[in-house]
Parts: sequence; structure tokens; C-alpha cells
Amino acid sequence: MRFAQALAYRLLLAVITLVLLSIIVFAGCQVLPGDVGRAILGPLADARAVAVLNHQLGVDQPLLLQYWHWVSGMVQGNMGMSYTYRAPVGPFIGHALVNSLKLAGVAFVFVVPLGILGGVVAALRLGTWIDRAIVLSGLSATVVPEFVSGIVLIMVFSIWLHVFPLTATAPNSAGGLTQLYYLLMPAIPLFMIIFGYIARMARAGMVEALASDYTRTAVLKGLTYRQVIWRHVLRNALLPTITVVAVQSGYLIGGLVVVETLFNYHGIGGLIFAAAKAKDFPMLAAGILVIGLTYIVANLVADMLYSALNPRISFGRRE
Amino acid sequence: MSQRDSLISAIRRNLSEVDNDLMDNALAGRVDRRGFLIHGTRLGLSLPLLGTLAGAMGMAGSRGARADGTSGGTLRVAMTMPAGAIDPVTIADDGGLMVAMQSAEYLCALNPDFTLRPVLATSWSPNTDGSVWTFKLRSGVKFTNGEPMNADAVIASVERLANPKNASNALSAFKGVLSVGASHKVDDLTVEFHLDAPSGNFPYILSSDNYNCYILPANYTGGFEQSFIGTGPFKLEKYIPKVGCSYTRNDSYWGPKALPDRLEFTFYSDMQPQVLALQGGQVDMLAQMPVAAGRAILNNPDFKIVSCKSSAHQQVHMRCDQGSFRDKRVRQALALSINRKALVRGLFQGHADVGNDSPFCPAFPSTDTSIPQRDQDLKKARELLGAAGVSNGFSVTLTTEQFLEIPDYAVLIQSFAKKIGIDIKLHVEDQGAYYGKAVFGQSDWLDSPLGITDYGNRGVPNVFLGAPLVTGGPWNAAHFNNKTYDGLVVDYVKALDLSGQRAVSGKIESLLLDETPIIFGYFYNYLYATSKNVSGLPAVADRPFLDRVSIAKT
Repeated sequence: MRFAQALAYRLLLAVITLVLLSIIVFAGCQVLPGDVGRAILGPLADARAVAVLNHQLGVDQPLLLQYWHWVSGMVQGNMGMSYTYRAPVGPFIGHALVNSLKLAGVAFVFVVPLGILGGVVAALRLGTWIDRAIVLSGLSATVVPEFVSGIVLIMVFSIWLHVFPLTATAPNSAGGLTQLYYLLMPAIPLFMIIFGYIARMARAGMVEALASDYTRTAVLKGLTYRQVIWRHVLRNALLPTITVVAVQSGYLIGGLVVVETLFNYHGIGGLIFAAAKAKDFPMLAAGILVIGLTYIVANLVADMLYSALNPRISFGRRE
Repeated sequence: MSQRDSLISAIRRNLSEVDNDLMDNALAGRVDRRGFLIHGTRLGLSLPLLGTLAGAMGMAGSRGARADGTSGGTLRVAMTMPAGAIDPVTIADDGGLMVAMQSAEYLCALNPDFTLRPVLATSWSPNTDGSVWTFKLRSGVKFTNGEPMNADAVIASVERLANPKNASNALSAFKGVLSVGASHKVDDLTVEFHLDAPSGNFPYILSSDNYNCYILPANYTGGFEQSFIGTGPFKLEKYIPKVGCSYTRNDSYWGPKALPDRLEFTFYSDMQPQVLALQGGQVDMLAQMPVAAGRAILNNPDFKIVSCKSSAHQQVHMRCDQGSFRDKRVRQALALSINRKALVRGLFQGHADVGNDSPFCPAFPSTDTSIPQRDQDLKKARELLGAAGVSNGFSVTLTTEQFLEIPDYAVLIQSFAKKIGIDIKLHVEDQGAYYGKAVFGQSDWLDSPLGITDYGNRGVPNVFLGAPLVTGGPWNAAHFNNKTYDGLVVDYVKALDLSGQRAVSGKIESLLLDETPIIFGYFYNYLYATSKNVSGLPAVADRPFLDRVSIAKT
């Protein structure tokens, strides 16, 4: 019962967050220079044509009215019409989201276990060369921008060795394995960026947990090394790591403009970027709300995992 | 009378006064073969006739009949993603036009040498003063939905674009040239256009040069994206917005059937991955490649580069109505500080022509080439600044857009100007921010004291001469106000024959060189890059027609 209440409370907060987000996006769109019709027709088009197009798109209406139309559409499950594509936003967002989830999924499946493993191993071998190697390589990989690692990967594995395709977009009829094959190389730059974060958080958590009183108690009362690590250290050590992973999952869904551009992949990041440039509010808003939703869901899952790992933190209990 | 002379005079008897002026120029050696063909086609003389005449007058042909090429195969093209809906009335970007032009056609289309070739029109001709133009249409042409291509379709297509009630991107091109209701059907295959004011270059407005001017069925009301309706050599197979599209050969095409079986376009949001895709063999061709993006393959023998002369350029405007640039000597000084040959080498690896501070580029046959070229002259520049009372230099902000090589150009101008004591601060911004609302008072482009603005290729200089330079012109960022100039432009626009145009162009070039409201530093070429097995790509600036392209089997 308590759980259900807590969940309802969180959902309410989520809705408020999304409404605020949509207002910010709408306001932001108004602040962007130029207008929609001008963005579509270009600087050299006649002002009369621009006015006609703005009227056709409805962006010449009062701002509150525009926002109200959009909100009432959203409530009925209608994401609106894209200004630039003059077609429903829904399918664009749908395809892009599926693509983003696939790429994020591939990156996630590799980076989360390996990152945690790296951090745990480094902490258990604290101060040795293994520790230093993991920390240093993680840190170095994190600072390499995606456009550098991506281009190097393409040059080496696609153009020189011909092992991986140049793009992340698999042919239309491709099955699951082929799609995975296309997504492997684009996932590497993401892996490089996130691995270091996760490994360092996991390492720090481990180091702290290993030095704690309860670990000493566990060791002193005669538990085996394995029991100490699994039962006492890990579940405490991984709490901060979960937060990092939750935050990164939002980035993995919506922040991949560079990787998507480089590997010509059609995800949410590129979609939002293009929509922002074109002042395409319905497309931009829908994309950003999807990312907002991703963050909310990821944080919700993280909180639930928290309480599962540490019973002292109860999901339902409010301070 | 020799056989040659009798042939020429036989033809001349059937030509109008204007046509005969062209012949006189040709015979007197004032027009070369290219200029002769250009003006001939503009006047609606057919190319075979002109070829015969040129031959009779001893003008050597530039090349023999084109090799036929091999049929078959799929041409895979990487291109920049269309900016939005593929709607012929509103398209304003290369991506969208490239996609539409494979299946939809124009009345006439630009050739590599800036002549017009007949497409859906077979010929065109003006009345004596160029105020009425008559277009003859090709018979037996049908749209992909079975509708006939006829006078009704042409009139509807043109009026749709000239109508201020539609969101027509071509409205600015038709403004002051052709109004709604001024296109008349003479018969099913003949249309008369009654212009607002006489124009010698009107056919260019109904050609691929005015790129929205696709001929669509008379009853077309929208929804081009559903089927890419048209009369062209290819028909749509599949279009997925933001991803790509493919075409198959249109077997009922009215002309020679397309050589490739299929076209496959993949859309990219950036240039770099396109170049990589060509390098990796994933595509056979890049629909467009700026020099800056293509340095990796520009001199690589594994790839072919087609370099097309164009009139595309970046205008460096200086505000003539305020600040230090009010004095024309200051404007001349800045123009004299620039080393144009270095620009062509550095920014374009030679794929550009030097500009002479007027829109008359070397590619236009009406350009008067006797006007001396302005070169870098720092001493004279400093003297001019001294004479204008700013010998200690001054500070000014150069505002411009993040587009192609423009930011680099801005940095070069900054360093050239420093040599004569002008301290330029750069303000490079996003294109949307630069153009703003694109009206005076709400646009960095139109309000900045010094700025750089991109202008694409045009087949004739009319657009460049008008809106950016005439008094009160909507794109007159230089705020140039010169009645003599305005009068010369009117004369140029209505001149029907080459000698008439050249008489005016020389005066315009001299006037602009003296006043220097805008620096035209260079006119850059359009580049297409292909793999080695692709051939037959016509060197037409803007966007390539692909029906004559052969793909060799490897």
C-alpha cells in the first residue's frame, strides 16, 4: 500500500516536471531568433510568402493559444504536426526512440557490468598497477570526444580493415543479429565516455565500504572473504554507482548528437538538434519530453534499486 | 557568294531584329561560340540551328557528340538531408531540390555553360521589346499519374508560384516580373507570358535556375511527397523522411531513357560522414562537396571530382549610410587590402574564380571582361584611408553566419584589414540568428555595418543586381543608394541582346568598382565527388541531373 502511494506521488511529480519542461521548451522556442516560416523558406523568400506559411502553420496565433492547442493535443495523445515536415510528429519520435533505445541498450549492456567490474577490481587491488591501469585508462577514454574516437574507429575498422559497416543504420530488412553488428562500433565511443565514470564511482564506493566498520565487523566475526564482499561490501558500495548509471541513461537516449551524426543514425538526439535549429516546436517538445521521461523513469528505477539494496532506505518513506 | 554566306543569309532572313543583332556580334567576333549559344537559346533559337550557324561562322565546337554511356546498375548517392517536407512550392534547400528534381521537371534547364536546354518546353521567343514571351511545349508528355502535360499544367504551375496567397518560395523571383493572371493559354501547347516589365532573361525564371519552378499537373493541390509526381526520367520507389529515398527508371519517359536502373539516396546531417561513406565504398557519389569538407579526397586519384563553374559567392557588404564605410574611399581601401588570389588558393584549392567587386563573374557571358581586375594594393589602400581622414584606422565588427567557408573567410579579411590599420572584431553566429527576421531592423544580416552573406548560383546576374543592390532592395544590406545604378539595372534587365547587355554591364561593373558597396572576393565552383566507376555526370552547378550517368561494373 505504501509502495503504491509512493509510486502515485512520484508519478504526480513526473507529470508536473513534464509540464514545466514543456513550458520551458515553448518559451525557449520563442526566444530563438527568426520565425518558423522564415526558417523553412530561407532568408531570401518574400515576406508575404513567409506570412502565409506562418498562418498555415498556426504560428501567427497568440502564444497562449498556440500552447493551449498543443497541450490539449498532447492530453489526447496527439503530439501535433511537425512544422518543417508538415506531418504528424508521432511516427518520427517513435522511430527515433526505438533507434535510440537500441543503441543505448547495446552500449548499456556492455558498459554497466564492465564498468562496475572494473571499479570493483580496482578497489580490491587498491594501489597496485591493476588499479592504476583501470583508473587511468578509464579517465583517458572519458576525455576523448566522440567525434575523435568515432572517426578513428571508422577510418580503421571500416575504411582500412573493412570489418564493420560505416553506418549504424542497418538495412531495412535486417534481423536482430545484423542490427547488433551495425551498432557495435557506434557503441564503442559511448562505452569509452561512460566506462570511466562508472568505474570510478564503483571504485570509490568500494573503497569506502571496505574501510567501514561493518566490513571490519564482518571480517572479525569470521565470514569468508567472498561472503564479506558479496553480502556486505557490494550492496553498499554500488549505491552511488546506480545514480550515475541512471543519469547516464538519459544521456545515452537523448545526448548522442555527435555519434548519431557521424554514424548516420536516426535517434532522438539528432532529431531534437534538427528541430531546435528549425524552430520546429512540436517536434522539439515531443523529443525533449521523451528524454525527460527517460530521466524520470531511470531515476525511479534507481530509487527502487536503492531500497532493494539497502533496506534502511525505504522507497515509500518520506523524510 | 560562298556556300557559307548563303547558308547564313538564308537563315537570317527568317530571324527577328534581335536575333540578327546576335548574328552581327558573332560575325564581328564580339561573341564567342559559348556566348552565341547562350544568347541564342535565351532567344529561343534551337540548339541544332545555332550549332549549324556557329559552324558556318567558323566557331569551333567544344566537343563532339557525347558518348552514349552504359545502361544499368544502381547509383548510390550520399546527400545532405532535405530540411523539411518535400513540397515544390516551399522547398528552399539543396537537399529537398535534389530529391524532387529526379522525378519532376522544368520547362528548361541550365547547361554547364549557362545556356538553357529545352526540357518540357521545346522553344521560346520574346516579342520585340521583351514584354511578352511565348513558350512552345513538348507534345505527348504525360505525368506519372497519367495526366497530360499541357498549357493548363504549365499555367497552373507558374501561377501557383507567383501567387502571394501561397507560401511560395519563388515569390521573390516573380515579384515585379510576372503577376497572377498574366499567363495565357494560346493553344494546348503554347503559353504566352505577359511580363510586368520587359526582361531579356525571363526564360531563366521558368527554368531550373528558379528552382521551385517544377511543372506539376494542373490539378495538383499538394501531397508531392506521396508519389513525387512529375514527368521526369525517374519515378519514386520509396521515400522515408530523414533517412533516404530511391527511384527506378521511368520507362515511359518522353526523352532518352535514364541510364541507371535505380537511384538510391542516403540522407546525412553532416558532410564528414558523407566523405567517409564515399571513401568506404558505401556510396558512389556525393551530391555536393564543399572544398573545406573534401580535402581528404580532393587530390586522391581513387576519386573523381567534377568541378562546375558557378556564380555562387559570399557578399561582403559595407554599410554605405553610416559609420566609416559611408566614405567610398574607406570601402575601396578594405577591398584593396584583400589578396583575392590567396583566397582562391587557400579557401578553395583553386576551385574558384577571382571576383571584381560586382556580380558579373567570369561565368556570365554578358560580363564585360575589359574592366581592370582589382588586386591587393596596400599602399593605395592606406592612402585612401588617409584621404578619408582615418589614417590611424578604426574599429568595426564583422557579423556573419556559420556556413561553409565563411568563418574562415572572415578571419582572412580580418588579417588583411589589419595590414591597413582597420581593426575588425568578428561576430560569427548561427544562420538563424544572422538572418533573424530578414527585414530591416530585425536582422543582423541587414543591420550590421560589415557582414558576409552567402548567395547561391544563378544562371543570370539579374537577382544579384536587384534586391541586394538597388535602392530600397529587400536584401540591400549595404544600404546602397545610387540612382544611376538603379537606372543601369533597369536597362540591363530589359536588354534583349548580348551587345545591349554588355554595353550596360561594363558601366555597372565600373560603377560598383568605384562605389564598392559590396566586396565580391570570389565565385566558387560547385564540386561533385564520385568513385572512379561513375561517369557522365554533367558539370551543372547547383544540383546534378543523374539520368545520363553510367556506372561501370567493377
